[in-house]
Amino acid sequence: MSSVLLSKSKVLRNSSRQIPILDFLAPSIVTWRQKVCMSMHTAVTASSSTNSQSVSQSQNPKNKNSQMRPLNQEQRDFLESALRVNQAGELAAVLIYTAQTPPLIRSHPHLRPLMKHMYEQEEGHFKTFSELIAKHRVRPTLMYPVWKAAATALGWGTAIMGREAAMACTEAVETEIGGHYNEQVRVLLDWAEKMETRGEGVGEEMKELLENLRRIRDEELEHLDHAVDNDAKAAEPYELLTNVIRGGCRTAIWISERL
Amino acid sequence: MAPPARLSNSIFGIFRATSFRPALLRKCRLYHSYEYSQPPPFSATASAILASAITHVPSYGFTSTALKLGAGDAGYLDVSTNLLPRGVFDLVNYHLIMQRLALKDNVQFPSASEQGTAKKLGIGAKVRTLTLARLRANEPIIHRWQEALAIMAQPSYVPTSLAELARLADEIWFLAGDTSVDTSWYTKRASLSAIYSATEIFMTQDTSKDFTETEQFLDARLEDVTRIGGFLGALGEWVDYTGHSAVNVLRSKGVRI
Repeated sequence: MSSVLLSKSKVLRNSSRQIPILDFLAPSIVTWRQKVCMSMHTAVTASSSTNSQSVSQSQNPKNKNSQMRPLNQEQRDFLESALRVNQAGELAAVLIYTAQTPPLIRSHPHLRPLMKHMYEQEEGHFKTFSELIAKHRVRPTLMYPVWKAAATALGWGTAIMGREAAMACTEAVETEIGGHYNEQVRVLLDWAEKMETRGEGVGEEMKELLENLRRIRDEELEHLDHAVDNDAKAAEPYELLTNVIRGGCRTAIWISERL
Repeated sequence: MAPPARLSNSIFGIFRATSFRPALLRKCRLYHSYEYSQPPPFSATASAILASAITHVPSYGFTSTALKLGAGDAGYLDVSTNLLPRGVFDLVNYHLIMQRLALKDNVQFPSASEQGTAKKLGIGAKVRTLTLARLRANEPIIHRWQEALAIMAQPSYVPTSLAELARLADEIWFLAGDTSVDTSWYTKRASLSAIYSATEIFMTQDTSKDFTETEQFLDARLEDVTRIGGFLGALGEWVDYTGHSAVNVLRSKGVRI
């Protein structure tokens, strides 16, 4: 046991002595050293969980990142499935509008600007999330081709049924999606609050994600208003149609979170 | 008999309760943060023992002898190798993980501004460079690598080994700067994994100077995949185009679709 403790303190002394010299000569060695330091942090914090925060801060005061506790497994899981679902959802939205537009504006040409506006916003959302999941190395959903086919069929089918049905479809989808984004915003705000009460800063990454989610949620809810303004409630089997679509959305979200 | 609403609720409840998420997929990917540090792959003690054990692999192979000698070098007792429950497989796994993580420091591509007017390095060329660099990292222990492959092929270690292979393929595509986020994300990683493992096995048999034959083997496999991928891509494009034209022709004839 004593040999374990001795060797630990030896490594610590070595690393603290060598980092300033090697900093500019060999960055790769420094990063390796930091890794060793970090792994010792976890070893220390595991053994004394009561004052873990103060220990890790006092050991490495210069490192800015040490102010921010690493994301735990649960948080990373959540972010992973959230980003994946969002990308899949926006893909579906883009395809629904793409499939709806031609049959719809043939019978109701005055809807052209509205459809174009909604399509462009959805395309922007899709681009945002595609960039985010590529950047954060999140796996895209395995059901990608299935969602593509399903979304196209849904968009085309409701557009054939008429303007009211198409708008009811938009209403149902955007209601689910809006609620879904709200849920994510709530979780992120909860984390941010906890981080701040612990005295850690909230990272730029988080702030940006939160901002994006809020903006996109507001735009989705704006689409919901447009749909209601265009007689979504007058769709023929309104209850049946919206409930089936909303159930489908929930199932798709459930599957995409996992696969 | 339960009313239908309650029945459906209870069925849905069962689904929600089971955390249905394939273990392999779950292990493969997790949110990668640039600001929040990632937890290190090994504890300090384990990585100290394994790092010195790996230096004994060329002479003793992936064996418990190498592990014990490594523990001795790091200043621990022989018995502390019990820290590694999977024994020799942990040594193999350490090599795999460390070499994967080292890849981003070993291979540096010039950024777009540095390249200037020179011909831009494509993603395919970057993947080739990275794959070769990873294979070359096996060079010092290549005469022992068949032992490692045999250990990895043991049934209880297969899932971990495959997950690590998937992570390597993902790392290579990520470092090569690939940003595709559709189904090709999967096909790219699957084909690279197949190519990498085939080439790795070929390399254990390769006696040519400086592994030139391995390099040729890799190039041939990469070319195969490019050709098949190109064909499938063209086929998909053709189907897509024909479908769209058919729909548009029908629309122009006045069919209400």
